[in-house]
Amino acid sequence: MGNVFSGIFGRLWGVNKEIRILILGLDGAGKTTILYKLQMGEVVKTKPTIGFNVETLTYKNISINMWDLGGQTSIRPYWRCYYANTAAVIFVVDSTDKERIDVAKKELHMMLKEDELTDSALLVFANKQDQPGALTAAEVSKALGLVDLKDRSWSIVASSAIKGEGLSEGLDWLIDVIKEEQM
Amino acid sequence: MSTHTYKKFEDIDSGTLPDKMTVYQECLQAFNASTIHAKRCRLLLSRLLRLLYAGETFPKTEATNLFFSTSKLFHHNDSSLRQLVYLAIKELCSLSDDILMATASIMKDIHGGDILYKPNAVRTLARVLDGSTIHAAERAMKNCVVDKNPNVSSAALVSSYHLLPVAKDVVRRWTNETQEAVSSNKVFPQTQYNMHEHYGANRLLTATYTYQYHALGLLYHLRDHDKMALMKMIQQFNTQQPLKSSLATVQLIRYVGKLIEEDSNLTQTLWPFFPGWLKHKSDMVELEAARTILALPKFLSEQQMQAINTLQTLLSVPRTVTRFAAVRILNKIAMKSPEKIMVCNLELESLINDANRSVSTYAITTLLKTGNSENVDRLVKTISGFMDDISEEFKIIVIEAIRTLSLKFPDKHKSMLNFLNDVLRDEGGFNFKNAIIEAIFDIIKFIPQSRELALEMLCEFIEDCEYTELAVRVLHLLGEEGPKTSNPTLYIRHIYNRVVLENSIVRSSAVIALSKFALIGNDSITKSIKILLERCLQDVDDEVRDRAALSLKLLSTKDVEQAKDFIAPAFKYSLPVLEQQLALYVNNPDKEHFVHPFDIKTIPTMTEEEAKATEFKEKTTIYDEPAVQTHEASPDEEKVPDSTKLALLQQQYAQELGAIPEIAACGRLLHSSAVMELTEKETEFVVTAVKHIFEKHVVIQYNVQNTLTEIQLEDVSIVSQPDNEAYTEEFLMPLDVLRAGSSGSIYVSFSRPEGIVPAVFSNTLSYTTKDVDPSTGEPAEGEEGFPDEYQVEDLSIVPGDYVVPAFTGNFTHAWDELQNESVAVFNLGDAATMDLQDVVLKLVKTMSMMPAESTDVVTSSSSHTLKLYGKSIGGDKIAAIVRLASSSKGMMMKSQVRSSDAELSELVANYVE
Repeated sequence: MGNVFSGIFGRLWGVNKEIRILILGLDGAGKTTILYKLQMGEVVKTKPTIGFNVETLTYKNISINMWDLGGQTSIRPYWRCYYANTAAVIFVVDSTDKERIDVAKKELHMMLKEDELTDSALLVFANKQDQPGALTAAEVSKALGLVDLKDRSWSIVASSAIKGEGLSEGLDWLIDVIKEEQM
Repeated sequence: MSTHTYKKFEDIDSGTLPDKMTVYQECLQAFNASTIHAKRCRLLLSRLLRLLYAGETFPKTEATNLFFSTSKLFHHNDSSLRQLVYLAIKELCSLSDDILMATASIMKDIHGGDILYKPNAVRTLARVLDGSTIHAAERAMKNCVVDKNPNVSSAALVSSYHLLPVAKDVVRRWTNETQEAVSSNKVFPQTQYNMHEHYGANRLLTATYTYQYHALGLLYHLRDHDKMALMKMIQQFNTQQPLKSSLATVQLIRYVGKLIEEDSNLTQTLWPFFPGWLKHKSDMVELEAARTILALPKFLSEQQMQAINTLQTLLSVPRTVTRFAAVRILNKIAMKSPEKIMVCNLELESLINDANRSVSTYAITTLLKTGNSENVDRLVKTISGFMDDISEEFKIIVIEAIRTLSLKFPDKHKSMLNFLNDVLRDEGGFNFKNAIIEAIFDIIKFIPQSRELALEMLCEFIEDCEYTELAVRVLHLLGEEGPKTSNPTLYIRHIYNRVVLENSIVRSSAVIALSKFALIGNDSITKSIKILLERCLQDVDDEVRDRAALSLKLLSTKDVEQAKDFIAPAFKYSLPVLEQQLALYVNNPDKEHFVHPFDIKTIPTMTEEEAKATEFKEKTTIYDEPAVQTHEASPDEEKVPDSTKLALLQQQYAQELGAIPEIAACGRLLHSSAVMELTEKETEFVVTAVKHIFEKHVVIQYNVQNTLTEIQLEDVSIVSQPDNEAYTEEFLMPLDVLRAGSSGSIYVSFSRPEGIVPAVFSNTLSYTTKDVDPSTGEPAEGEEGFPDEYQVEDLSIVPGDYVVPAFTGNFTHAWDELQNESVAVFNLGDAATMDLQDVVLKLVKTMSMMPAESTDVVTSSSSHTLKLYGKSIGGDKIAAIVRLASSSKGMMMKSQVRSSDAELSELVANYVE
């Protein structure tokens, strides 16, 4: 019985709507840390993800399925298997890893070309701001060539998953965009 | 559930599989939907699993799609759905390469998932891991092995077992955990099933200890090659920490059995464990212990009696399965040593009327085997009343028992034949009739005095036989055996009746059978046969006319010998070899090859007596299964009868040797010995030898196996020194290179003196070792290596090498015929250390002769008479009577040997190894 009521109320408040969000990015960017920081509010000890982690969290009355896919070279080809029905992509960049930022750029643009992701919003986290020598959000944005993106809502937020800075700010923006565009 | 929905799922019971493409489409749709309906997905997964379990497969792309779609279900937390997801992934992982994508999700469930699906996750993990990823999961697996929950522990143990071939060295590091799992005491947590209203806590066992079974199995594999560790393990689980699980105990007994089988000296060391097992509270432990004791030869007879006593009590328990198993074990022993189970006769007789027909049939056949000449008649009568009640399969078992029984008691053949004749008249299918006919055939073949009575029965049988195949076989036999009888004309009438009344297949075989009678040498019979055959020329069928015409043509030639060769040849071709050679010939890709016609002369031939000898051996040893069934036995090893293997082996030797020009020059291969082991099996270089006897030469083939993986041998040679100067070395063919882990053969040829000269060859293996670079498999350049020598055991040329086993239907007759008797008496040594049966088997092997009148089975513990018959490679007949008696002075052996060659009999009599 309780289920029935929560179902009805859920629909009224829009809770029942589930959305899918993918967290992508190169290995070691901090995707898994972000996922569990958002879900549990804690920093967990992570190992390189072989495969994916999936968690459901409720944020502002919206139920979100967060898919954190492994970023290792061997796993990247499988990202595309999880693109369908994706409302938004969170792309995480290690702001201190200047050498591989070009690789990140290439992966990002290749991903955005996919048909299944044409309608998805893009949020980029310029992560690891707590570390010395990290690029600023503007620098990362430039290096990734975000300004060239057309027909897509996107945003870049400087973040530190370990300190929890910037995460809710970015997610707020993302939820607003999704509500506006897709609901 | 409404009738409507009920109908919808009816197909689950009806056995028709759901449509593959529909299931595929529905799965993709439901699993990829933005909202997942657990119940619907579960249903779809179960359909998918049903397809996969039925052996359906999906093409790679579709399997991959299915896998990724299924992996999306991980975000739903329904426990039952998760269990099904794991089952599906486990099946799909063999079809799709992308399985590693599930790793993180599985690991998460193993670390913190619900206890309900944790075991499933562990089992799936084993399929996902490979040699490179196993390290990441090592800790998790170790923790699961020692988990308090028996389900998780079992799952981890079984998974480790499956991971052994993937990464043995990693799994080896879990030995301590596994050890801990065997000795721990795990029970199901109270909460796990209680919450389900269907099962009260009292309805489920709180502990089955099955994990002990799994852990023991894994532990055994981890310690496989270390005998001392195994012994310690067995000791530990018997005395310090007795196993709680019956299954584990049964498994432990099997390991003990295997140890004893490999090293029979351990028998008495391990015996103290058995009495406890024989009085165990669980039937299966008692059965396994008894079975092991009785299957292995080294147990003392009072120890075997204890096992039989246990079985005796098990015969009267109310549990049918136990009774069945007990009677089955007894039945097997009855084949070899019926006298041992005489004590159970009372119980067995009461089982004849057991409500379970399988039990009663086994009881009967066992009784038939224990039967001695006094009670056989009575038993056969009991069965006659019983035959109508049992199903055809069991009837066949009974017939087989009767068949072996009549071979054992030739003087009882009359009552046996009467019984067979009675059942032959009953209604029955082809297999049943075939079994009876086989039995009668065997009786005719091996009990000559039964011939006329049995042939008469067969004649009556074909008067009204509904199976063409059987009629043809009977006619063939009549053609073979009929002419040898005192009154052949009797059979001619029966055979000719077939020509008049039957279909063309039977008619044509009747024609051939008839023509054989014309060769007896009796003119009036020959004349009548010719008249009958001429009538057959009018037949409507081509085949019948052809055969009649051919026979007439051959009979009208003056050359009787030639006619005989065609109509009643004295020898048979070895059929398995013929088949192999023909297949080789036909499959030869080289077209030039077909210019030469197939040469039938390359096929070895056997005279009737030789064929009978091998056949008899097969028939009487048919129940002699390996003592302890080892599951390592390779599945591709087909069950080929011994004689076929022997013939093929002999053929293979001939071929191999013929391919070597030097050896081909030696002429025709007369005889090859069995393979002799010159080293222990566990040594670094395993050497075995085969002696090939030629007309004027002896070639010894040394097979050397290099078991080391990092050493290569070069210039491998054998220094073989005979102690008898009559043998002189002619040439030696060494091996240039023997790579790591490979094997090869060295041949040494000696000139053979006239006659039979025993000799002992001392053998030394000489070679140069070189270390091999493991990455390339080649020895490092410029390495010179170390020359080394290795003394192996001596090899003797024994009189047995010149003798081949042959069958005789009537040993006494054969014995009386031969002259040149030699007698020798030996003391073989302390009788207490020897088992009479072992001695007999060894004698049969070294003397290389065929035991007659089933005297290779020892029936008494103090004395035995062994009768042997054979032929020398020169064609001389040889017979031996060996009397063995064990006394306080030692095992005495008196051998009397008679042969058509005086020298041969003397040598054979005086040779003792």
